[in-house]
Amino acid sequence: MFSAQGFQATWKYIDLFKQGLLCTVLLSALTVFFGFILALFLAIMRLSDVRPFRALGIDENGHAIDGGFKAALAKFNPLDFIATVYVEVFRATPMLVQLFIIYYVVFPGIPLPKFKIFGSIPFDRFIPGVVALAMNSGAYLCEIIRAGIQSIDGGQREAARSLGMTGTQTMRHIILPQAIKNILPPIANEFVTIIKESSICYTIGVQEIMYAVAATKGATYRIAEPLIIATLIYFCLTFPTSKIIAYFERKMSKGDKR
Amino acid sequence: MSESLIKVTDLKKHYNKGKIKALDGISVDINRGDVMVIIGPSGSGKSTFLRSLNLMEQPTSGQIIFDGVDITAKKIRNEAGKMVTLDIDKHRQKMGMVFQHFNLFPHMTILQNMTLAPIQVKHMDKAVAEEKAMKLLDRVGLADRAAAYPIQLSGGQKQRVAIVRALMMEPEVMLFDEPTSALDPEMVGEVLDVMRELANEGMTMVVVTHEMGFAKEVGNRVLFMADGLLVEEGTPDDIFNHPQNARLKEFLSKVLI
Ligand SMILES: Nc1ncnc2c1ncn2[C@@H]1O[C@H](COP(=O)(O)OP(=O)(O)OP(=O)(O)O)[C@@H](O)[C@H]1O
Ligand SMILES: [Mg+2]
Repeated sequence: MFSAQGFQATWKYIDLFKQGLLCTVLLSALTVFFGFILALFLAIMRLSDVRPFRALGIDENGHAIDGGFKAALAKFNPLDFIATVYVEVFRATPMLVQLFIIYYVVFPGIPLPKFKIFGSIPFDRFIPGVVALAMNSGAYLCEIIRAGIQSIDGGQREAARSLGMTGTQTMRHIILPQAIKNILPPIANEFVTIIKESSICYTIGVQEIMYAVAATKGATYRIAEPLIIATLIYFCLTFPTSKIIAYFERKMSKGDKR
Repeated sequence: MSESLIKVTDLKKHYNKGKIKALDGISVDINRGDVMVIIGPSGSGKSTFLRSLNLMEQPTSGQIIFDGVDITAKKIRNEAGKMVTLDIDKHRQKMGMVFQHFNLFPHMTILQNMTLAPIQVKHMDKAVAEEKAMKLLDRVGLADRAAAYPIQLSGGQKQRVAIVRALMMEPEVMLFDEPTSALDPEMVGEVLDVMRELANEGMTMVVVTHEMGFAKEVGNRVLFMADGLLVEEGTPDDIFNHPQNARLKEFLSKVLI
């Protein structure tokens, strides 16, 4: 299976792995960045209170109508609806399908300049990869943010509202500062997941670590050794990251409690 | 001479499409200066009633007139006679609420807990708010804990802070939902003392409690609730010494030693 010659042959292509490593890190970092921004918008939509048909729920005396179609329509929030559909669709379909739709269906209609980032990463493949990964992780990160906010004890909100604070003031001064502690660790974990999942971009020719494996295999007819190297690189990326996250998580959980 | 502050008419709160009737038609007049104590078995709707008063819970039907304004209406007629959306936050400022589990903000110091709402909501100057907070903390004997975080306080201290935090907004009525139920027995007294003092100063108070001693001594009206209904109402003497309703008698026989 493995042999010293195999490793020697593979080692000649180590530069491909270095390029792959750079590409994987860049891909993951951009994915988390854009995924997080997308997730913020989605979470705000999901937690918003936009009800265009609100007026239908109020009778001529100004009292709330109880039950019925009108009352249901008055509760309808289109932003929440759109964001929910987005999140559910992206979480319920395979990443590979999403990637292929973005790369083969959406992006051919969008002209991208043909150049190579750092002389090795093809821009017109890299960008669809980032878009697909970010759109996918945006759905997951949205749920992380939403769960973090909703995990704050309802009594906090009640106490703030009973003091006359508005919903926005309550969110800004009471809920978010506490929720951020719950949100940061899972976001960091999502980063680890993305590092691993970014390997899927190999299928559309993004020259990340798995691409280096395939290229080395083609040139040397060795597969076990390149895979060992890829495994080591992934492990060295994700394991310390997880450990650092766990350390900060422990540190933060020591903080205040009710 | 007693002037009505909160007038509740046929208040109902139903859950699960009417299967659970937490409140099933409560009517009561709360006058300025009243110390109204609400007692009743678990699940009788005491908390729901209290939480409906400041619309933490949206009533299914019925009316609450607070300070002359129907706060259950989503739209009200303003002075100019125009229909405008009711600003419930404005009315909540005038109703202080104290919770069983204190609900202090854990990420803020005691002083910050107290000054946040006055600064944000009433746009009070920070220095003015802090001075006011220190005076109130001094009154409840906690001035030296102003810089502490809630986690560093005992239960009784937390609840005293929660009370003065509500007082910072200068409310017209204070709502207490079992303020001593989560406390160790030796800390109950210190919280009741603060509440007694508040009552003596003439604060209008609605208190849900199992402290029958407090009800007898401080309350001027006692309400007995069961199954979402107001079953019996009277002075402490009426309720504790001359109960009429069978359910009240049974309840009292269980809670009074
Ligand atoms: N959000 C809810 N959904 C469904 N039922 C509810 C809800 N909140 C309260 N109830 C029900 O309403 C009834 C009254 O509850 P409430 O909390 O007001 O009682 P309580 O008198 O305060 O009881 P306790 O002494 O235990 O605090 C109970 O049967 C409760 O189960
Ligand atoms: Mg209760």
